Amino acid sequence: MALDLQDMADFLKQTPPFDALDNARFDYALDHAEAVYVNQHNRDEILREGHPTLYVVRSGTYDLNDKHGKFIERLETGDVFGFPALLSGRAITNQIEVLADGILFCWDAATFAYLRRYSEPFERYFMQAQERRLLVEHRGEDSTPDWTERDIGSVISRPLISIGSDTSIQQAAISMSENKVSSLLVVDEGQLRGIITDRDIRNRVVAKGMDYGVAVTAVMTQMPEAVYTRQSLFDALTMMNQANIHHLPVLDDEERPVGMITTTDLMKQQRSEPVFLMNALFKAQSREALVEEAQNIPHYLRTFATRVKDIGMVGRLLASLTDGMTRKLIRLYEHEHGAAPVAYAWMAFGSQAREDQTLSSDQDNGLLLADGIKEGQREYFHKLAEFVCTGLADCGIRLCPGDVMAMNPKWNKTSLEWQQQIKKWVQSPTPDAIMHSMIFFDSRMIAGNQQLYRRHRDAIGKIAQRDIFLGNIGRHIGELNVPLGLFNRLRTKSEKGGDYIDIKTQGVAVINDIVRLYSLIEGLTMPATPARLQALQSHNLLTAKDNQNLLEAWQFLTQLRLSHQLKLQGDSTEPVNSIDPETLSTLQRRQLKAAFSVIKDAQQGVGFKVGRGL
Amino acid sequence: MLISLLDKLGQLGQGMQSNIINSDGRERQASLQGRWQQARYVALDLETDGLDPEQHRILAIGWVPLSVPRIALNAADYGVIQSDQPLSQSAVIHQLSEQDIQGGEALAKVLKRLAKSLDGAVLVAHHAGFDWQFLQRAFNQQGVACQPLALMDTLKLEQTRLQRQKDWLEKGELTLAACRQRYGLPPVRQHHALSDAVACAELFLAQAYKIVGAQKTSLKGLLRYSR
Repeated sequence: MALDLQDMADFLKQTPPFDALDNARFDYALDHAEAVYVNQHNRDEILREGHPTLYVVRSGTYDLNDKHGKFIERLETGDVFGFPALLSGRAITNQIEVLADGILFCWDAATFAYLRRYSEPFERYFMQAQERRLLVEHRGEDSTPDWTERDIGSVISRPLISIGSDTSIQQAAISMSENKVSSLLVVDEGQLRGIITDRDIRNRVVAKGMDYGVAVTAVMTQMPEAVYTRQSLFDALTMMNQANIHHLPVLDDEERPVGMITTTDLMKQQRSEPVFLMNALFKAQSREALVEEAQNIPHYLRTFATRVKDIGMVGRLLASLTDGMTRKLIRLYEHEHGAAPVAYAWMAFGSQAREDQTLSSDQDNGLLLADGIKEGQREYFHKLAEFVCTGLADCGIRLCPGDVMAMNPKWNKTSLEWQQQIKKWVQSPTPDAIMHSMIFFDSRMIAGNQQLYRRHRDAIGKIAQRDIFLGNIGRHIGELNVPLGLFNRLRTKSEKGGDYIDIKTQGVAVINDIVRLYSLIEGLTMPATPARLQALQSHNLLTAKDNQNLLEAWQFLTQLRLSHQLKLQGDSTEPVNSIDPETLSTLQRRQLKAAFSVIKDAQQGVGFKVGRGL
Repeated sequence: MLISLLDKLGQLGQGMQSNIINSDGRERQASLQGRWQQARYVALDLETDGLDPEQHRILAIGWVPLSVPRIALNAADYGVIQSDQPLSQSAVIHQLSEQDIQGGEALAKVLKRLAKSLDGAVLVAHHAGFDWQFLQRAFNQQGVACQPLALMDTLKLEQTRLQRQKDWLEKGELTLAACRQRYGLPPVRQHHALSDAVACAELFLAQAYKIVGAQKTSLKGLLRYSR
């Protein structure tokens, strides 16, 4: 008997994983459903009845908390929960907090088992959902994403307001005030030429006493940073933060400008912490104020991590926040000591550069100075570095134990000095040299002169392309220890009274090393491992399948590490980068083995391709 | 239900002093005195082709058993009543076709199924008095024994609640849809007996928890709000 419950059927048809059931199973699900009305008074009796149950939220809003009351997930219409107890057979320990009363649809364990057994997509959904925070989750379509994961295209509401490049400054200002906007895109024949903001008019026209009749091209920012409609709001957010701008042109896939997105647009999305936190950091008037704001970061990251499906975003966000704090500190220093005497670039290395930073990451940075610098001018940069590095440390990004920091004169050099240093590393690749050069090749400019950095980065990329050097890196990679023993068993190490696997050194770092090596060979200069893998798709060093496997293994391990760190309480003595496999679910253990076997294969691949002299 | 004609329905319901139908026997008494959450409820809705039980007939019945706070959708039931008579203008509202009606089930058969759940349970409906008048007549005619314990009228529960807050009710404030909206319940397809029965079950739970909160209340106590 398939009941004629049209509303429920309509609703479930749009709710994963029910949307993936065939007609017979779908009717089965309808026929075996119950509904329950939940409010603050009866929530406990409902969950404490103790029967593992699959729930789908029909209406209302609830917070899912663990048994200690720690927030796991906000549940709203269409969200599915209750399945961990069903899958594991363990008792229900989570609790719900009712924010708005409403209806839940429920299915008992027998129905859940039946549907899993007879519908592969249904089964797959729960296998993936179980590992939601750990596995690659397909974005979009099938669930309500966090606002930061939404497309930029979905929030542009205003029509494009643009002017031609022959428009006068005065006309541009008139257009701004008529349209009540603070910026305009300069567009010729559907091509973005530049952007002009009210601040440009203030700073570059009025303050300089410039003629208003001149064409806007004289004062606009040419070839501005831009985003694409299909990118996420998070992408827009990080780009604004990294480039320190408040207006971003939005382009469609054919590079045609379709609108503008501003920090105000992002703030409107929600009273959301990333924007507010970043703004608070930007607005800090002193080192003290910045340090105070930065104390909120760990707490904030924890809640952010519970909301987003792709926990890799936490690494990007943290890197982005570190970028912002670095720039703020540099500006505070410049404010007090005047502008830099020569062109320079502040570079981030390591995890900040790769944007896979974690709460336990230390700072890795350096300064690149213009070659013409005079001896007396170096003092400025040493003091700058000291100010920024200690400032970052007070903000919670601890000093680098290996001293890879701009405040160390070894990491504070002119372009020529750097090149000499790198040549030395390349010619006599001691283990130390290899390690240092590797840190250096993951670099990103945070502040300073873009051209100086670009030229320098290209130059050292060429220096690195020497077979002996690459071969040595290859051999170094081959010697790294992947914790997979005979018969694919996980090899743990006793540490602090437990048996652990170091997933940073033995996992994430090895993948980073392998991918970096291939990038060096191909002359790729972007630092992030996923971006490198994407770029490597058009080269022949890795097959498409190996490339994909490495990416998934990397994502799995970084996410596993991050969620492990986020779980640790402040005073925990557990290692931050190591995991006891016994604490993982069977599925996670399987995935961990799979990830390490991918690494092992890739490691051997390096041996074939590079170790034997290319 | 024919919502646009609620005013007339209001008159039909008048004069009913008590909403208890049959509380004879130990079990029924125990239900009545016991906590409201312990009682057995059946939420129900009828589609009819008019408002007068004397001359109009039942076209469809939808019902769903409830054991607070659960709505047993898996035990919900729905029957279209077989008839060869042509449909009146009411078809515009209930959207049943003549084919539906011709292909329906015998009234007695549907009533017997309903009686199994409803006998001894609390009948929950939006404007319960109206549905019960039709049902009572049909049960008698068909010789099916069924006596609910009491009537829980979600319309009256709402009226009681609203009248405590203000002394003037706008027309349309008491429709099933308007009531549901007040509790943040999602909109549903209207005028389908089963959908409306489920919608009414949800509304009842929302109302009851709003009225009772965390207090211990008997079924009898809660029924007072539905008079």
